[in-house]
Amino acid sequence: MKKFLTHLSGWVVLILVAAAMPALIKVPYFIHLIILALIWIVLAQGQNLIQGLVGYVSIAQAGFMGIGAYFSTLLTVNFGWSVWMTMWLAPLFTGLISVLAGYPSLRVKGHYFAIVTLAYNMVIFTVLLTYSSLTGGEAGISNVPRPSEFSLLGYTFNFEGRSNISYYLLALLMAALSTGLCALILHSRVGRILLSIRQNENLSDAIGVSTLRYKLLAFSVSAALAGLAGALYAHYIGFLNPEPFGVDQSLNAILAVILGGSGTLAGPVVGAFAITFLPEYLRIADSYRLVTYGFILVLATIFLPRGLVPVFHSLWLRLAGALGLRRG
Amino acid sequence: MIEILQQGVNGLAIGSVYVLIALGLTVVFGILGIAHFAHGSVAMFGGYLTFTFGERFGLPFFAAMALAMVAGAVVGLLIERLAYRPVRDAPHINAFIIALGLTMMIEGLNLLTFGADQVVIQTPYRSVFNVGGVVIAELRLLVILTACVLVGVIALLMSRTKTGKSVRAVAQNRQAAVLMGVNVNQVSLVVFGISSSLGVAAGALIGALLAIAPGVGEGLAIKGFAVLILGGLGSIPGAIVGGLILGVSEAMAAGFISSAYKDVIAFLVMIVVLLFRPEGLLGKR
Amino acid sequence: MKQFNRRVVVVAVSAAMGLGMVWSAQAADKELVLGVNDALTGPGAVYGLPQANAVKMAADDINAKGGIKAGGDTYKIKVVDYDDKANPTEATNSVRKLIDRDGAKYLLGFCCSGPTSAVASFIDKEDAVMLVGNAAERAITAKGIPNLFRTRPPADFTGAAAGTFVAKRGARNIAVIGSLDVSFYGQYLEAFERELVKAGGKIVAKETFGLKDRDMTPQLTKVRALNPDALLVLGYVEPAAFVYRQAIELGMKMPRYGFTSGSEEQFLRVASSEQMEGVWDLRPTELTVEALDANAKTYVANYTKKYGSAPAPSSPYAYDQVYVLKNAIEAAGGAGDAKKVAAAIRKLAIPKEAVMKYLPTNGTMFDVNGQAYTTNGAFQWQKGKWVYVAELPSDTLAYSTFLRSLYK
Repeated sequence: MKKFLTHLSGWVVLILVAAAMPALIKVPYFIHLIILALIWIVLAQGQNLIQGLVGYVSIAQAGFMGIGAYFSTLLTVNFGWSVWMTMWLAPLFTGLISVLAGYPSLRVKGHYFAIVTLAYNMVIFTVLLTYSSLTGGEAGISNVPRPSEFSLLGYTFNFEGRSNISYYLLALLMAALSTGLCALILHSRVGRILLSIRQNENLSDAIGVSTLRYKLLAFSVSAALAGLAGALYAHYIGFLNPEPFGVDQSLNAILAVILGGSGTLAGPVVGAFAITFLPEYLRIADSYRLVTYGFILVLATIFLPRGLVPVFHSLWLRLAGALGLRRG
Repeated sequence: MIEILQQGVNGLAIGSVYVLIALGLTVVFGILGIAHFAHGSVAMFGGYLTFTFGERFGLPFFAAMALAMVAGAVVGLLIERLAYRPVRDAPHINAFIIALGLTMMIEGLNLLTFGADQVVIQTPYRSVFNVGGVVIAELRLLVILTACVLVGVIALLMSRTKTGKSVRAVAQNRQAAVLMGVNVNQVSLVVFGISSSLGVAAGALIGALLAIAPGVGEGLAIKGFAVLILGGLGSIPGAIVGGLILGVSEAMAAGFISSAYKDVIAFLVMIVVLLFRPEGLLGKR
Repeated sequence: MKQFNRRVVVVAVSAAMGLGMVWSAQAADKELVLGVNDALTGPGAVYGLPQANAVKMAADDINAKGGIKAGGDTYKIKVVDYDDKANPTEATNSVRKLIDRDGAKYLLGFCCSGPTSAVASFIDKEDAVMLVGNAAERAITAKGIPNLFRTRPPADFTGAAAGTFVAKRGARNIAVIGSLDVSFYGQYLEAFERELVKAGGKIVAKETFGLKDRDMTPQLTKVRALNPDALLVLGYVEPAAFVYRQAIELGMKMPRYGFTSGSEEQFLRVASSEQMEGVWDLRPTELTVEALDANAKTYVANYTKKYGSAPAPSSPYAYDQVYVLKNAIEAAGGAGDAKKVAAAIRKLAIPKEAVMKYLPTNGTMFDVNGQAYTTNGAFQWQKGKWVYVAELPSDTLAYSTFLRSLYK
């Protein structure tokens, strides 16, 4: 219980600090980057569910993000639905689609699964690009609306205009909720079953666990989170085209989870920020970025297969021990 | 009628390139169990290298390609030794992630060394042959022939040489092969060397036929896996049959249905095969 | 000894700092940030990179001659460029960076319609002036955006003239193969078809290919079976070059007309000169050997010397943007007020330094829509070079009125 409270309070502090950021940081571009990172947290937490917990590498996350983005955009732009509504419907819709996609593909293991999800992503991308009468194709859809304003406790949250603070708080809320959802799953019976599938799927099968059902659950929740991230993204940027939803972005999601720490809760958070901020600082040579990412990935997999967060965690433990803050 | 034949013939050249890519993937997968996704980027590297040998050093096309294939083999050896061997005994997912990381690295290195522009390898083979209304360019014919020759060479290597026997032994049963004194490390190196050579050849041929550019490698690798799944993971005849089928069906689909959705064919095929016959057309259950 | 050294360092540094402060206070030079957003890599780079280079060259020339002098200040130009990879999302991010982080009020370049349209959809809310180059999508200047100007005429302005030309040459059944999903090619085709049909011809096929496609043999095989009088190719330079080459490889011998606009070098990277022989390009009269006057000759010579390769025919659209700005800033008396500069651009006569041949509307370079017009021309590939064959007559005023009528 104590451990739970310590962890929880750690997260709460983090969220409060994050909420205060817009008051402290005055450069709008920096806020823009953090909003993107928060959206990426939603995506990465989803990726973590299927990759970190279940151990199945899915290369379709960006494709699902695209489905959520276009679903929400098309309903709001073409039919005038409220963004608040479509933002919840998008993950549900994406989750549903993923069940259809997941059912056949989760029956095959390891490499086959990864390759099939890659195929899904490419199909989704190609359709988004080619079915231009619906999606606007390469040229995309402009003027994607922001959520309408609302008042709460005397404050009016206005999402239009140059200041992005309201949207920042929305993204923060979603990132927190996603992390919370994954925490719930991780610490529940479902989470334990998922981990057991990662450890040894045959054994789990043998003792009677319906692995397909649990894998499907993890896959659809992960896709739903991707769909939510997509809707958040589309309504934030205000312009939507297929480019952000290609295979490259799915690879980024995988990288984020691995860098941060596969299977942990804080891992995707760290990974999401790394993915968003590294390109900014490595911008001097965009071409070096790919090589560096790839190199880090290879090194991390060989030497740090459990990601950065466990490394930080053990460093912290050692520090705490040295400072006499730990018992035993 | 002519139109159908023409589309089919068009597809054969691309299909031959797919065969080479798939062969490179299938030997690695069948013998070492690794989904070597970086193969596409290695192929691109080979294409760029062939272009450089041709433009910078004035080598004729096939000589440039042969030289690049040797370089490719070396790259393959390095990849095996430095990237995949450390995770040989780790969970399979690690090898796949290494493959993804390698893809990024090699794509990045290609970008750094050769730039981001598309590269078209010029060849002197510009004649055009008209066979009863079906027109085939000399270059396309040469691509098909080259693929046949390379496949033949590999087949001979596998069946006639001692190294080839060791490779087949490891493919059949690794434990037994080790017990019989086969040097598994050596076999791994040989397999990657062959695979990368074939990949480089494919890259050179695509560079002459169409172009090499960032992003083409990934597409080739995915199509390669589609062929693998169609033909059967680990099956060499499967890679050959699958590659040609994919090439021709893409051309037919582009010609008679819609060129926009041409690439989707490969993926749909993959998904359908995995659902109903996961071992592929010629694979073993 | 150590203490002595340290004191020397302290004194030296303070002196340097003092000198620096005095020196910078003396320079009354202001910095004018020009933000360039273009496709520097990827399929659009054949248009975008030469534009970005052209802007830098113009900026360097102006700085070398002392900068822009307006309202008592001297402005030295600093060019900040970003690669949007011809992608609308990237372009939106780049422009945000240019405005928010780099402090740019003047945005130039814009070779490609997708990204340009994306930026145009929010630029009217910004304190900036946007100068569009090669992007050919009509809607960009059909919305009445007060701070947006374009040096390149919309695609259908050229399409109509091209249709009349091809019909006059006797082609009756035309097969079209192009990136028809891209709306400005669609607009060119619409106008082309309208004029073709008026003259009694018709379009027998409309095949599509993507901007990144390289193998168009399936579409060409289909078209070949219809036995058309001529082929019309609408696409970016690289895929178009593959179409021209593959048409020959499939034994197709009919005349090939196109709307692509690329330099000889760009085409020769893909197809051989023999394969290109006889191909037509029906486009705005951009840079070409015959139509060269003194400005253009100097431009080509300087560009080639500075960048080691010939400039792309459409690159002067961006070069001219810099001189439009220079003259407008001088007329407005300063670069600090973007609205004032925009108003000055509207009233501007064609700058004497401009390389492209513009047709003024009512004496000014830009019409009421912010659109400039160049003449249209028919070019043909002859023995390895694009040769200017004839002008394609077109009515600027009529088109300007038509464009104005499209505002929603």
